[in-house]
Amino acid sequence: MALSREDVRGIADYARIALADDELTEMTDYLNDAVQMLEPVLAYDVPDIEPTFHPIGDLANVMRSDEEEAARSLDLPHALGNAASVSERYFRVPSILGEEGDR
Amino acid sequence: MAAFLDSLTASRIAAGVSAGDFTAREVAEASLAAIAAREPQVQAFLQVTSELALAAADAVDSARAAGAPLGPLAGVPLAIKDNMNLIGTRTTCASRMLEGYESPYTATCVQRMLDAGCIPMGKANMDEFAFGSSTDSSAFHPTNNPWDLERVPGGSSGGSAAAVAAGEVALSLGSDTGGSIRQPAALCGVVGMKPTYGAVSRYGVVAFGSSLDQVGPFGRTVEDVALAMQALTAAGRDPQDGTSRDCAQDFLAHLDDPVEGRRVGIVPALMEAEGLTPEVRAAVESAARTLADQGAELVEVDLPHLDAAIAAYYVIGPAEAFSNLARFDGIRYGYQEPGCSNLAAQSAKSRAHGFGAEAKRRQMLGAYLLSSGVYDTYYYAAQKARTLITADYASAYEKVDAILMPACPRTAFKHGEISDPTQMYLSDLYTISINIAGNGGVSVPLGLGADSGLPVAAQLVGPAFADRDLLTFARAVERGREDEVAGAAAGAVAPAFAGKGGELA
Repeated sequence: MALSREDVRGIADYARIALADDELTEMTDYLNDAVQMLEPVLAYDVPDIEPTFHPIGDLANVMRSDEEEAARSLDLPHALGNAASVSERYFRVPSILGEEGDR
Repeated sequence: MAAFLDSLTASRIAAGVSAGDFTAREVAEASLAAIAAREPQVQAFLQVTSELALAAADAVDSARAAGAPLGPLAGVPLAIKDNMNLIGTRTTCASRMLEGYESPYTATCVQRMLDAGCIPMGKANMDEFAFGSSTDSSAFHPTNNPWDLERVPGGSSGGSAAAVAAGEVALSLGSDTGGSIRQPAALCGVVGMKPTYGAVSRYGVVAFGSSLDQVGPFGRTVEDVALAMQALTAAGRDPQDGTSRDCAQDFLAHLDDPVEGRRVGIVPALMEAEGLTPEVRAAVESAARTLADQGAELVEVDLPHLDAAIAAYYVIGPAEAFSNLARFDGIRYGYQEPGCSNLAAQSAKSRAHGFGAEAKRRQMLGAYLLSSGVYDTYYYAAQKARTLITADYASAYEKVDAILMPACPRTAFKHGEISDPTQMYLSDLYTISINIAGNGGVSVPLGLGADSGLPVAAQLVGPAFADRDLLTFARAVERGREDEVAGAAAGAVAPAFAGKGGELA
């Protein structure tokens, strides 16, 4: 079943990408083409095969002791240096809830 | 005697610097001169780092003057794909999203090349966030193929391939998620290696598909690529990258080993595949004969599930890309839309206006594939196809030591020639399954195609962590071509650029 413009608007909302109206039309065509291209993979959804999520099969989580590692931590100027809006030691963001500005 | 830098291999440059034939500073200045003369046509770089280059060169020369041992790549000019961090440079991923992003630290792969003595000449152009096969999706400018400026260099590591092919540098680093080293190497007539997943650290490389991405080198000769592999892996596992593995092995010691008695697989279905051009097919067949002439045994093998590879990749790749690129929310780094009333709007508009068209397409596809109800249908099926593809290769490697196949079905296409994104995806036919299986592959140039007059190439692929062995086969193919007079000689720079600036006094 083909994806509609409204479906694609919902995906864009989930992906946090504010697509313009003309982009939405083009994206709907693209997603329908792409999903059609993916069809052959559906034949492989068979019960007796284990999925491979990673090329290194026996990979385990890498843990370290919970201590500060100065060498691996960015200092404040580097940590904040690439942010567009900062306030003293913090990243500055607009209001998280509601429609009001960053008060 | 005057020589042009582009006539020297990385190994010859390092030997010359060590012997005092010329200084690292002279090499760096020659590389900068070659870049200045060639960049107006090629446009391989997003940033040329003259100051870093001269400082690194002076450090090499000071070390030599002090009698300190020099690295195996002392004085070798290096280009670095712009998704790799290097302190003192921007790391933009060729995206407006990261246009002003200053590298806060240096990627392990870059650091290891610098530790070996390389001179960082600059950051190379790429498809935005590595999404593409042409480098045309760079937000800043396209890169032109040095063999024909109207054509693409391939992608996504197109700048890295073009900088080497044009003789601006001797070595470069790229990354390969579905063919992004091997395909541009093929289209630009240079050697490009995607090592086994885990062989090279990815710490400090901007992530695209975390179960697929791997860093590797480009060079004009197999020996140069072996030298780079040595530098990238000799220090062993990188504790900063949980997926990196020890694979320290001497990439040079067995490079010229004979291939007599070794078995090389040929997959008949891949040689008959739709879209494979006759000239590429003929070139791969000639590489097979070259190996057979040296005593290798050609064995037919079958990879029955390879028809699912492109579909599986375009499920797994976009799903992982969507997860990785969720971090670009405009808060901590990256483009931030001004004047937004709340955080959700700021994120959505920053992402809409910071990312280019293909980056948005891949993330939208990934978002759809990971959405509730769809996830089970496609994602699990793709990962099961991955199991079968990996098993296909494993059973083939019980019969053969390596497999020879095309790297790309055709030679370089013109800018804008393939405008449909899903058509572009199909050109990854020969490279993608190697990333899915996590194995190594190397693209080896085979001169110029009989029909197009453009570079053609073969790809050698092998079992996991047999990358050294792959280079032995690649060297055998290269050795078989060294006497050729027609077409492009092995190790040559694209003729329009050979000797254009970059004289080494």
